[in-house]
Amino acid sequence: MSDSPHSDEQILQAIRDELTRIKVPDAEKATMSTDWRDLDVDSLDLVELVTALEDRFTVKIADGELKEISGVGDAVRLVQRLSDAGAPA
Amino acid sequence: MTTGRTSAPVPDVLVTGRGAITSVGEGADLVFEALAAGRSGIVDGLGRANAFDPEQWMTAKEARRTDRFAQFALAAAQQAATEAGLLPVDESGAPGGVEAERLGVILGTGVGGLNTLQDECQAFFANGERAVSPNFVPMMMPNAGAAVVAMRLGAHGPGFSVSSACATGAHAIGEGLRLIERGEADIVVAGGSEAAMTSLCLAAFRRMGALSRAGISRPFDARRDGFVMGEGAAVLVLERAEHARARGATVYGRIAGYGASNDAFHITQPDENGRGARQAMLAALADADASRGDVDYINCHGTGTPYNDRIETIAIHGLWNGDAPPASSTKSAIGHLLGAAGAVEALVSLEAVRRGLLPPTINYEQADPDCDIDCIPGEARSVDASLAVSNSMGFGGQNACLAVAAA
Repeated sequence: MSDSPHSDEQILQAIRDELTRIKVPDAEKATMSTDWRDLDVDSLDLVELVTALEDRFTVKIADGELKEISGVGDAVRLVQRLSDAGAPA
Repeated sequence: MTTGRTSAPVPDVLVTGRGAITSVGEGADLVFEALAAGRSGIVDGLGRANAFDPEQWMTAKEARRTDRFAQFALAAAQQAATEAGLLPVDESGAPGGVEAERLGVILGTGVGGLNTLQDECQAFFANGERAVSPNFVPMMMPNAGAAVVAMRLGAHGPGFSVSSACATGAHAIGEGLRLIERGEADIVVAGGSEAAMTSLCLAAFRRMGALSRAGISRPFDARRDGFVMGEGAAVLVLERAEHARARGATVYGRIAGYGASNDAFHITQPDENGRGARQAMLAALADADASRGDVDYINCHGTGTPYNDRIETIAIHGLWNGDAPPASSTKSAIGHLLGAAGAVEALVSLEAVRRGLLPPTINYEQADPDCDIDCIPGEARSVDASLAVSNSMGFGGQNACLAVAAA
């Protein structure tokens, strides 16, 4: 069982909100299985998204980890994992 | 006339599309008609393009990631390209059999993405590196306008930005002309855009003493006290004559000649004798195979600074020896668009000869003996016109003159 203080749905909604903020079309339709390519999200968008997620969930996403996330589901799982690691025992 | 590299004759270069964004309106015809009617777009000492809505020309995401100067470029270029029949682009490229590899884009700016630069500097100094947008560089870089236009048009020919301060727009069109003359492109989308009305930039021009304290643009008037800043863009589609005829394009005029020069004198002041400006005009006329007596209209650089207008008058007298054609400054109505000015004024000159209607210098009331040219005060003048020259003189002493002819 995850120790993360956030639900998948919370993180997913945060991603939708941030993509909407940077004017990505159809961002509100993003699901766990949406690939960045489906939304036309490029590397510059991803930097903005990750910065915002770091601030919202108080996590640090390393530059190397950015390359590992190819879609919304990956991003949600990465935030969960980093939140787990940072959660109090 | 032949080039040094080839014995092939130099082709005529026609204008087959026009676009403009200014404080008096959007679209080439609308802008010219407003200027000819003596309308001013200057409010509270600024010629702001208030009606401009970027999302009319690009998606919300594109608009967010594009600085205002490049937004202007994209809007004016889309107008021009649509008029020229270069849009819409599909998988097979531009309509009308235009070869993507032979379609170039040269769009200049004097200062690039200043709004972005100012915002990002503030963010960086307040909150450090994490606050800097990943879009900073692609928004600020001066070639961003040329890049977004090339992407929109699917233009795979030569593409770049030129920058020569207030002569940028004229240099861009002149270099576009040369690309076609050298045989490197059939069509070049050329012009300039500028959006420099940031608090920092206005402060800088004010500190130099270049901006009008009265907030009134009155070129050649004895009371002129500096320029009024404007913003916007103008873009022309330049096309090899044979290519334009073969695809049945509508022709609006011809870029007949281009001359460029350096004052090599002072970083901001023009040469006292008007040497650089005169040399650029002479070179443009020679390039057009025309003589000074052929010129029906001069669109002056006419910024409204005490220096510029006096020295431009000296340059004009030096060339025409008291027999100069009518010469107005449309900066009186829209202010100084810096890197876009030369492109807007090439368009104005083109329309002036096409319609036989010379736009006025507005706000001109008190004659200055140092500016004793016929600056078409007050109202537009109907004339038979076939050739105009458009002067642009940039900070740095870099000058460009375009000779523009009726088709």
